[in-house]
Amino acid sequence: MKANDIQELKRQALVEAAAAASADALEAVRVKYLGRKGLLPDIMTGLKDMEPAERPLAGRYANELKQELGDTLAARRDALESASRAANRAPFDGTLPGNWRAAGSRHPVSQVIAEAIRIFHGLGFTVADGPDLETEWHNFDALNTPADHPSRDTQDTFWLNDKTLLRTQTSPVQIRVMEGRKPPVRIIAPGRCYRRDTTDATHSANFHQIEGLYVDRQVSLADLKGDITHFAREMMGADVKVRFRPHFFPFTEPSVEYDFSCHMCKGAGCRVCKHSGWIEISGAGMVNPRVFKNVGYDPETCSGYAFGMGVERIAMIKFGIEDIRLLYENDVRFLEQFT
Amino acid sequence: MRIPLSWLNDYVSLEGVSPKELADRLTFSGLEVEGIETLGSDFKGFVVAGVTAVRPHPNADKLRLVTVERGAEGPLEVVCGAPNVEVGMKAALAVIGTVLPDGTVIKAAKIRGVPSSGMLCAEDELGLSDKHEGLMRLPASAVPGTPLSTLLGPPETVLVVEVTPNRPDCLSLLGIAREVGALLGRPVKRPSVELPEKGPAASARIGVEIRDPALCPRYIARLLTGVKVGESPAWMQKRLQLAGIRAISNVVDITNYVMLECGHPLHAFDLRRLRGERIIVRTAGEGEVMKTLDGVERKLTPRNLMICDAERPVALAGIMGGEESGIAADTADVLLESAYFKPECIRYTSKTLGLTSESTYRFERGADVLGADWAGRRAAALMAAHAGATVAAGAVDAFPRPPEKRQLTLRLDPARALLGVPIEAARVEAIFRSLELGIARSDAASVTVEVPAFRVDLTQEADLIEEVARIYGLDNIPAPAPSARLVPEVTDRTVRARLEVSRQLAALGLTEILNYTFTSDRLLKVFNLSPESQVRLPNPISADQVVLRPSLMPQLVETLGRNRSRQRAEAALFEAGRVFTRKADGSFEEHDRVCIGLMGAVGRSVMGRTGAPGADEAFAWLTGILEGLCRGLRVPARQKGGLRLPNPVLEPAELAWAEPGMGARVLLNGEVCGEAGILRQEMAREWRIGEPVGVAELDADKLAAHVFDVPASRPIPAYPSVDRDVALIVPEAVRHEDIVQAILKVAPNELRQVRLFDIYRGENVGGGRKSMAYALTYQSQEKTLTDEEANGYHNRIKAGIVSDLQAEIRA
Repeated sequence: MKANDIQELKRQALVEAAAAASADALEAVRVKYLGRKGLLPDIMTGLKDMEPAERPLAGRYANELKQELGDTLAARRDALESASRAANRAPFDGTLPGNWRAAGSRHPVSQVIAEAIRIFHGLGFTVADGPDLETEWHNFDALNTPADHPSRDTQDTFWLNDKTLLRTQTSPVQIRVMEGRKPPVRIIAPGRCYRRDTTDATHSANFHQIEGLYVDRQVSLADLKGDITHFAREMMGADVKVRFRPHFFPFTEPSVEYDFSCHMCKGAGCRVCKHSGWIEISGAGMVNPRVFKNVGYDPETCSGYAFGMGVERIAMIKFGIEDIRLLYENDVRFLEQFT
Repeated sequence: MRIPLSWLNDYVSLEGVSPKELADRLTFSGLEVEGIETLGSDFKGFVVAGVTAVRPHPNADKLRLVTVERGAEGPLEVVCGAPNVEVGMKAALAVIGTVLPDGTVIKAAKIRGVPSSGMLCAEDELGLSDKHEGLMRLPASAVPGTPLSTLLGPPETVLVVEVTPNRPDCLSLLGIAREVGALLGRPVKRPSVELPEKGPAASARIGVEIRDPALCPRYIARLLTGVKVGESPAWMQKRLQLAGIRAISNVVDITNYVMLECGHPLHAFDLRRLRGERIIVRTAGEGEVMKTLDGVERKLTPRNLMICDAERPVALAGIMGGEESGIAADTADVLLESAYFKPECIRYTSKTLGLTSESTYRFERGADVLGADWAGRRAAALMAAHAGATVAAGAVDAFPRPPEKRQLTLRLDPARALLGVPIEAARVEAIFRSLELGIARSDAASVTVEVPAFRVDLTQEADLIEEVARIYGLDNIPAPAPSARLVPEVTDRTVRARLEVSRQLAALGLTEILNYTFTSDRLLKVFNLSPESQVRLPNPISADQVVLRPSLMPQLVETLGRNRSRQRAEAALFEAGRVFTRKADGSFEEHDRVCIGLMGAVGRSVMGRTGAPGADEAFAWLTGILEGLCRGLRVPARQKGGLRLPNPVLEPAELAWAEPGMGARVLLNGEVCGEAGILRQEMAREWRIGEPVGVAELDADKLAAHVFDVPASRPIPAYPSVDRDVALIVPEAVRHEDIVQAILKVAPNELRQVRLFDIYRGENVGGGRKSMAYALTYQSQEKTLTDEEANGYHNRIKAGIVSDLQAEIRA
């Protein structure tokens, strides 16, 4: 026998193994080749009679025959067995509903707050907190609100007594933080605010704001622009653009308002942006030196920016919610969409 | 502020600048343009019609048959529903075939059976405004048959500008023109106020006395005689109308026109009605009464400023004229007031009396005390030109203490640092000059400007920096990539820990809700919540929102009910929020809480949700959520030896809101952290919920106290564990926690786990008793336990339970 004859034998054995249609047929193939009286033991015995030059190759081919046929027989056996299990099993329905507790959902307002915290944490801002029931000093006076400013009216503000009110903005947290600490200050303060607005599609007497304040030796309007732009891209999408318009607020000077380009239509104009391509977001500015004086900071040695944004507004824009009342109606069919 | 562009173009050239471009420039310099309106049209098909006859409509009370003349074309009959139609008036007629601005085509039609050959139009139908208050009255001088376009055309563009409260100087055409000039680099032209003065000086006849110069620092009176009251010229009426002010008569229209032009409110008195022909400016006496133009008697205080004649009040300063002193059809001699009143005083009076007007709007924000004279001259010149007035020489100008000139300095380096741009001194100076801020001094380090009286907003250096920023353009300020800056030693863990509670509950499968802080008495009453410690709003918006919630639970249950009524049979909700209480000393407290509510078979597997859950089942879900929450929030486990037991412990308690026997205080390692239980059935039934509702309300800060604890790693036991079961027959009153405590008393360190795996009630256990089966796991840190050792521990525990709880061991 020649080494090449062993190769031919292997080819034939593998064909037979692959063709075996039952466990018995498979066993017959095994016995024929690998059994005690099978063809492989014959070959092994015949090796010593071969030409010395041919022997190593023939030995290697014989081992390959044993190995490959063994693997093929095993694979074939597994295939035959699993086919027979499948044939004997009742039909299985893999489309039945799953059975594991589903995740719940965070309220869209909470999601926006959590996301804002994540974004500003990345810039080194920490989260600050203040009470809902505020003093007139923190909510108005210290923020340079004129004594007869209409926002102080009982028409606009919920007063509990002549000293205490429900905060109309999260800005009083700025004051509390600065009163308690020297610069640098780098905080955001999410929280509930209250105004005597009659509820409609865009107004709610309870709403949330996120206040931001950064005070250090040299903070600039450019820093404000850069940080707000970063926030916009993280919150709404990497291609969102921000534009700034001068505005007026008593607690900042210069003051700006800023708009985001519409993330829904990419600025082409759609329902969300009222076909303008831009969405008005909120106000910001450089902290008014008078506010610094009110908290005992020296405006000559520090500067800072502040912003306040409406959380509901951002949530409505981000998720395309048309009516603010949906956010407080707590219809599970609505809330589950935000899982 | 409405800015008709054709009018604005009188003061600053708008050539080559589209309305959109102009609007953008203004918006991005701080004057937000809220809208660009195009009013009017070429008025094709509209002609001036003169009403010659008005007769009733035979079939309709509110309609009239109107005959109109229209010059050479001959008369027409139209049906008209306007209440103000009258013989002699001139109105706009749309003939058959005319297309209205809204697209409607006027067709020959019968209206209630009578043919109408056209339509007489109101302002909205002409596209001039949204007013539909009867026919638009055209000037009496308009000639019937004239195309309306010669009277009202061409189409006009109006910018609607939102002027921030700090910029009263922009509440005028000239103020806006100044801004436009600065932005476009174009000059601003002011109209001439050369006066054709005649006759004796005004001061020879009229007099002014200011008794309270603090509230009225300046009062200028001019004298105009021989005035012929009539209509103002059509161009003026049209401009007023475009700006949103109704034309009344030439004298009144001119005061309004000048106010819109320069921002300074004026008032015209009929000199006949001014006793003594003099003006006295004084505050009202306490309780003094005056009747204003609108016929209302106003009771005043010394905080209200009045304009009086020699004997009595004739106007509320800066707010409204008196009933008798105004311009009448036969007024001949006019005293023209151009005064300056303190903003605070006008704001107070306007607010307390609820009277607002174009005049109060400007005075309360701050008029131009030095510009008052120009305004008076301008109005006098227009009255000479358009009301036949003879202008007396000079004016009576009571101005006791002219204000000192104000200067402000901008230091360049701090300004550059604050803006983040290296702006040059020359650019800063150019910006100031373009805004009419005269440069008093400048050097390499700073620029000092004279602040004009009309810029009431410029009071500190930061205000000048803002001027630079907005004219320089915020777009030209860079927006560098943010740089993270950490502030050491500042921790925000308490706030973030609280937020973690919500995250965990959502992860446990609950849906977060947000309710209002305000709630109603009715709702709190359902929950038997005591009114004594409630925080009530003195000025609520509605009766449903009168109390600051003392608990999150009532609204959460209400929310479950609302979802139930919307065919939502099951819900697992939570809210994290603040609650409020009033302490005995009247002070307020607020606390952060979290509330959980379960309705329906939420805890069951997906296909097992048919059939209402039992109360015990609902309670177990609640317990499971609380245990998962405690684990997620790293509340330390209760520990004894090697045994770790979950928190919380629910200690039975009778609660006002819980079903008797199904309420519990929630203990975290012995500390009370809230309440949990099954809601009283009668409360659930308020919302038609029949099945058990599981509710818990917890203190968020106590729950979250350990969020930032670092879990300490323990080695995985190296030796195998041994399980032993025990089934106990105990009286129904014995609770799981009692058994656990009995086990703990005698447990060796090797006890690793106690797991309840079955509860059985049945005849072979006996009435009033139950069988509870536990699997106990023993394991040593030091060696493999032998059967004998495990049995020894187990038997000691069994004996302990038997003696403690009168339990029987079930074979």
